[in-house]
Amino acid sequence: MGKRVLLADDDQLLASLLNFRLKKSGYDVHHSSNGKEVKEYLKTERPDIIVSDIMMPYFSGIELIDFVRNELKLNTPIIIISSAGNEQNVLSAFELGANDFITKPVSPTELLVRVGREINK
Amino acid sequence: MLIPLKQIKITLITAPEFNVEFLGWLTLVFLILAVVYFVGTFFIRNSIGTYNGRSKDKKMEFSPIISEFLFYEDSNSKEEKKNYLNLKVQIRDSIKDNFDRIILTEVLLDLRKDLSGQSQTVLIELYKDLELHATAYEKLSSRRWQVVSSGILELTAMEVLDSYALILKFINHRQSTIRKQAEKAVVTLKEEGINYFLDNTKYKISEWQQLKLLDVLRHKQNFDPPQFSLWLTSTNTHVVLFSLRLIKYYKQSDAVQSIITLLKHKNGAIQLEAIDCIKEFYFEEAIPTLKMVYPRANNDAKIAILDTLGEIGSITEVEFLKLLEKKEKNFNVKSKVISTLNKINPESILPTKNIKEDNYFTSDLVEETELNVESTIIDIEYEADSSVLVSHNTIDINESLKIEKPIPFEITKCGGVLNDDDFSHNLLIDTSLIVPVSIEKTEEKTFPNILNTDPNNSINNLDSSAKTEDELFIEFSPLVLSEIDAAIAIPNDIHNDIEPMFSLDNNFVSEIHTTDNNSFDAVKNDFIELDWFSISKMEPADVAEELNTDPDPLITFENDSISFSANFMEEAELETMVFLENIADMGDSRELPTLHQLLAANTSPLVLERINELIHKFSYQSPRPNDMFSSDNDLSSSVFTEIFNLSDTETKLILLDEIKSVGDEKEIQLLESLIENENNEIATTASKVLNHILAQTAKLEFTKVGRTNDSIFELDFELEIETSRSHLVGFPVCRLPHK
Repeated sequence: MGKRVLLADDDQLLASLLNFRLKKSGYDVHHSSNGKEVKEYLKTERPDIIVSDIMMPYFSGIELIDFVRNELKLNTPIIIISSAGNEQNVLSAFELGANDFITKPVSPTELLVRVGREINK
Repeated sequence: MLIPLKQIKITLITAPEFNVEFLGWLTLVFLILAVVYFVGTFFIRNSIGTYNGRSKDKKMEFSPIISEFLFYEDSNSKEEKKNYLNLKVQIRDSIKDNFDRIILTEVLLDLRKDLSGQSQTVLIELYKDLELHATAYEKLSSRRWQVVSSGILELTAMEVLDSYALILKFINHRQSTIRKQAEKAVVTLKEEGINYFLDNTKYKISEWQQLKLLDVLRHKQNFDPPQFSLWLTSTNTHVVLFSLRLIKYYKQSDAVQSIITLLKHKNGAIQLEAIDCIKEFYFEEAIPTLKMVYPRANNDAKIAILDTLGEIGSITEVEFLKLLEKKEKNFNVKSKVISTLNKINPESILPTKNIKEDNYFTSDLVEETELNVESTIIDIEYEADSSVLVSHNTIDINESLKIEKPIPFEITKCGGVLNDDDFSHNLLIDTSLIVPVSIEKTEEKTFPNILNTDPNNSINNLDSSAKTEDELFIEFSPLVLSEIDAAIAIPNDIHNDIEPMFSLDNNFVSEIHTTDNNSFDAVKNDFIELDWFSISKMEPADVAEELNTDPDPLITFENDSISFSANFMEEAELETMVFLENIADMGDSRELPTLHQLLAANTSPLVLERINELIHKFSYQSPRPNDMFSSDNDLSSSVFTEIFNLSDTETKLILLDEIKSVGDEKEIQLLESLIENENNEIATTASKVLNHILAQTAKLEFTKVGRTNDSIFELDFELEIETSRSHLVGFPVCRLPHK
């Protein structure tokens, strides 16, 4: 059983692609397309890492970090996917406890490296 | 005559006649229209929803296939390779369907935006491999501009180089969206695209388009920029402007003359860009042209030129800039001129607006100096022959110290230059313009010739502080002049115009002009460090001993120096004057009795005049605010005092009536003072009112039981004039405290 990755992104195509890439690398990936699903999932499951887009319906990536760090009190590594030029959100994410970030357009290989690094820390 | 109601017709508001038989048909028509509308809306909405649903499903269907293609590796297992080949066959079959083809193209375009790196490259290869660009080619021949534009966009995004030739023709398309898309495509697809574009474009290149094109070029890998100066000769001004920007961005500094020539361009934007290039590349050879085009340039260009001159200019531009400083009227341009001047020649222009005068900050020091000077005058006047020498060759500008009151002093005669005729009358020296200076102390009876050419006597030689200290002393002999016949004004700016009424030797002027700042500073410091207090405290005997004075003439000429000495006041008279000045400074209406006593006791016209002035002043002066509310001041305790002093006679009489009505013992002091009033009517009325008040007070006193009047806390003390003055004739030694 590989490490569990929670992939939260409302872009189905990209999420599917990243999901495919991560699964191919041996990760057990759970994909959620919005904040509600993420919240529900985290109430019952404890992934090893969370990869989340900042902009999501219902529940943004920033709120997700706040939820994980302050409500669930989890130290799960969180990698944020953000559009280029969205520095303010990235800074907010880091302030709330994000571990890393990656900008769109995403290089799946790069994401894989970052996920591996955060899990192995 | 009444008209029957039936005959009244209001034609304007009559309803149109309508055949009721058509009403049913009309209802039916509207119903059909409504149904068509709703059905149509439902159908369109449904079809869009269906299409979206289908496309979403199809995308999700394509997604793993595309992922499989994107992340396929040669190292995959046989099964994976077999799967890959099967998928390829499957997708080729599926794209034969137009819908699938469109959806696959959309998926690939979406992923093209979201992916980078190797995945992106593979994606583009897949697009070409599946020959999806054929559909894009078809779009180029569409008659709808949005379809053509999307075709160009698709081909550009998927980097279909073969489409370059097809897109070129759209460079000068009349439809701006197609044109702009084509421009971007041409520049993106091939390296020479920018050359073609700059060569052939006939239309305007908007600022936004220029930014996008620059962005394309910026992100082009291994891009070798062409020599953009080649397009500076373009007839399209937008091409010239864009080329200038590209020259600046790629730092192509080889087009000096072309850029300098463009300074004269009619187009302001090109001119500005050329100026910017000149500044960027530090083209010093452009300076003459910059100066040449300046007068005809608009304000923005002027500011840009000045900015450039500040950057690349040298001290030789100062003259030009100073000319502009005088000439320019526009605030922004003038400010830029000044800042440029200061940039080239730092601090050549200092702030001038809203700057306070130096004496504003040194006023305290000046006041202190004046006080000391006054004291000095008093002491000196004991000696009839006291004189003060101000040696002109030691005059210094001391910006921090100015004596603003006329200070009498003795002027040494300029060796041979001044004649007796020059001073047939007393002179008033306008000391407001004279800065206290280093003043030579001498033990000899004669003073040094101020025009002494001896270099040792020059201000330049005052570099030794010890020596200077020995030489310096300051004395101010009182010289009260009744007639002003001449004025010698030495302005602050001694460098500019020292032009006294009498002529001075050129040597003196030249000495001053050549005096360096250090010498000035030295003298200034010496002056500041001078022990004014000790000077003011000098005993008259000491003064007499130190000063070599001539008691007889008011003006004497000795050793080429003109001496003014004044000895016109008796000691007692002088002291009275000083006392009067103190009263003038610190006194108020309470001093009136004292002043009247002094008036009776003195005979000197000068003293009498001053006393009368003060009486006049205090008669119309209200007590000081602090005294007004002081519990020690009986006079001030009357609420009528202030208004009384400010009123005319009629009002005063009305006020006295009011006092009579509502007044009490607090008004007694005021009334007592009014009894001596010059106006008989006021004096009489005041006397009556006083009697009335006293009578009322007596009644009240009588009713008070057990109250002691001798409590020390109920005594009102008044500040008394210093007892040291008691020897003055007719002077009250002290005043008994009021109850």
